[in-house]
Amino acid sequence: MKITADLHRCEGHGLCAGTAPEMYDLDDDAVVVVRYDIVPPHLERRAEAGAGVCPVAALRVEA
Amino acid sequence: MTTSGPSSDLDIYADEHILDPYPAYRTLRDLGPAVWLERYQVWAVTRYRAVYDALHDPHTFSSASGVALTPETNQMLMGNTVSSDPPEHDRLRALIAPRLNPRALRAYSDEVQRRAIALVDDLIARGSFDAVSDFAQVFPVSLVPDLLGWPEKGRDRLLTWASAGFNTIGPMNQRTIESVPALQEMSGYVAGLVSENDLRKGSWGAELLDSGRERDLSEDVLAKLLMDYLLPSLDTTISALASMILLFGQNPAQWDQIRARPEAIPNAFNEVVRLESPIRGFYRHLKQDAKVDDVTIPKGSWAIVLNASANRDEQHWEKPDAFDITRRAAEHVGFGHGVHSCVGQGLARLEGHALLTALATRVRRFDVDNAQWGLNNTIRALKSLHVTVHAA
Repeated sequence: MKITADLHRCEGHGLCAGTAPEMYDLDDDAVVVVRYDIVPPHLERRAEAGAGVCPVAALRVEA
Repeated sequence: MTTSGPSSDLDIYADEHILDPYPAYRTLRDLGPAVWLERYQVWAVTRYRAVYDALHDPHTFSSASGVALTPETNQMLMGNTVSSDPPEHDRLRALIAPRLNPRALRAYSDEVQRRAIALVDDLIARGSFDAVSDFAQVFPVSLVPDLLGWPEKGRDRLLTWASAGFNTIGPMNQRTIESVPALQEMSGYVAGLVSENDLRKGSWGAELLDSGRERDLSEDVLAKLLMDYLLPSLDTTISALASMILLFGQNPAQWDQIRARPEAIPNAFNEVVRLESPIRGFYRHLKQDAKVDDVTIPKGSWAIVLNASANRDEQHWEKPDAFDITRRAAEHVGFGHGVHSCVGQGLARLEGHALLTALATRVRRFDVDNAQWGLNNTIRALKSLHVTVHAA
């Protein structure tokens, strides 16, 4: 599983990091940082939950 | 138009279903994820998954023909951000969004916190007040017009105009008919602001007009973008702020949790917006057939996407009717979701968090009574709530 972040879409709401801090963080400019290129299997559900909660659909899950 | 699939003659715009919409939403959800509303000849998308998927499929669930029930309203809305699809939508949203994202709003957080503290201190000194007229209405109405550069003259009409606008998303019922003069008044006023360039120099509104003119947008579209900025920021935030007091008044143990752990505030504000969603939902026009589980909504139909119903869907939420600030509330769709998700949600959160922060250190308990809900086709909001605060 891979998570792609559209950094132009990202508005810094931080819901991803709030939902799945193991997968997502916000940098100093409040832009999303996806912690893993390839999502570790045990984090796949968290990664999907964090991607799904993004209000502006800036995070895409590729299975 | 023939429809096959569940249908209902329930009138979601009847007074009883405005004052207490949740049983009606439950009835519709039980019938199906999409239900044909006989009375209005439109579909309703009811369940969380179906609502989420519809909001994330703007090419099927299109906003470009308008997001209201009646052609008259859709005609008036034409040209604004809400009533557009990608790619035009993205260009319009890009004119409004940059000032409203949380990182841009950080510049205002001290000011907002300061104003929140001042308001809360004033209310504590009073002891008893109305959560709507003395609290919820005061904050957004003083903050957002200032940020936009709105002149002082005309501010006293803003709430009337905003409520009128939201009524017209629904049917041409008595509420809507009575709203029409206010909307005409508002259109005239905003057109005047645009042509006289009457917004404070350096304000967001003045900037919006400048960027818009650089792109050769018409005066009409500029007026609509100004209204995009202002109107959705009032009733909605006011609703959430008043509901916040009601819910913490009714759930004192959870207020104690906020007082003990202020880091719970962001999730708590999400839970308020989930449980008492200010906006019930907007309409979409189907550009192609949509398969919603085992129901097909045919191309050419109109559908109301019921965010407020999704937020209470028992198939998605455990004990959906319970106020629970410890649940994972962030996935609610009270701010919409996807490309049209509320562009002002960062500002709403900034206001809500600042007020909760100020209240958390100053108020031990809220006694609430005599909650009266308002009648609006689209907005769920208290119109009055008596509060007595017990200082910490």
